[in-house]
Amino acid sequence: MIIHENSVDKVDAILQTFIDESGATYVLLVDMAGNLLFKAGEGNFDEVTLAALSAANYAVTMEIAALIKEDNFSLLFHRGDNENIHFAKISDDILMIVLFKPYLSLGLLRLKIENTQGKITDLIGSEEWQS
Amino acid sequence: MAIINLKEKTIQVKIIYYGPGRSGKTTNLEYIHSCLEKKMNGEVSKLVSIDTKGDRTLFFDFFPVNLGTIAGFDLKLQLYTTPGQVKYEATRRLVLKGVDGIVFVADSLVSRQLANQESFENLIQNLNYYKLDLDSVKLIFQWNKRDIDENLISLTDIKEMEEQLNSKLKTKSFPSSAVTGMNVLKTVNYIAKKTVETVIENSIF
Repeated sequence: MIIHENSVDKVDAILQTFIDESGATYVLLVDMAGNLLFKAGEGNFDEVTLAALSAANYAVTMEIAALIKEDNFSLLFHRGDNENIHFAKISDDILMIVLFKPYLSLGLLRLKIENTQGKITDLIGSEEWQS
Repeated sequence: MAIINLKEKTIQVKIIYYGPGRSGKTTNLEYIHSCLEKKMNGEVSKLVSIDTKGDRTLFFDFFPVNLGTIAGFDLKLQLYTTPGQVKYEATRRLVLKGVDGIVFVADSLVSRQLANQESFENLIQNLNYYKLDLDSVKLIFQWNKRDIDENLISLTDIKEMEEQLNSKLKTKSFPSSAVTGMNVLKTVNYIAKKTVETVIENSIF
């Protein structure tokens, strides 16, 4: 996959808006192979390894879903004492991983993720992205 | 699938160490990681191992490596191993998703030749699952455990291993010892270079 300069700027802006509006700590876009594509927010951790583990975690969860004859699990979320993490598949090959503080509303965050998903999928579907 | 970011000038490729159980895939990564730790004074990403209490790989081992610059682009390798044991088929297949380059680590012990062949057949099947084949990803072989004293345990002749696994592909192979480090760094350098060449060719043409 070749990611062009213009596309990088646009996705960065969308993700920064998401961080500003949702109050989330950090957001990553990762492909299903575990490659880190984009990130925004502030965090002190190895985001490349987080990307690889998140993609693996998601893939395993989907295999479990298939085993018990579920198409999908609609909520993939881990609650921590200081940080929560939410996983969402936003296109065929892209995962959105969001870290957020436990005091933030999960429902509101999910609405913001859905909104961001729309913007990203519009961009991925555009001619500019695919050129 | 490799990612080329034209703004940040980076190329990310995914390299996987594949092979039968106990052939030395994890030991390869551990050796590379320890060399980098020494070279970079500890400033490398942690080697993540998802394994069983018995120290067998359950899902994968992973660590990212920055390998310098090629044509002005920073080269970022994602190194993975797969679980070798037959029973971990589901997780082994998941790790192969998006692979760009493969090191097949074959066990040189005479008693493990059938396991090598079964694992290689399994690799081809799992690549097919992702609509890939041995022409679409870069693959090289490592004939591992060449340090073992042949007076104690019988090793298969390299020529024979080449005939069994590499007679059609005729790709690059390295006799190696992941325990002593013999040809471990040469292997990773070679697969990185060849994989990136393939990625660039496929992206441009």
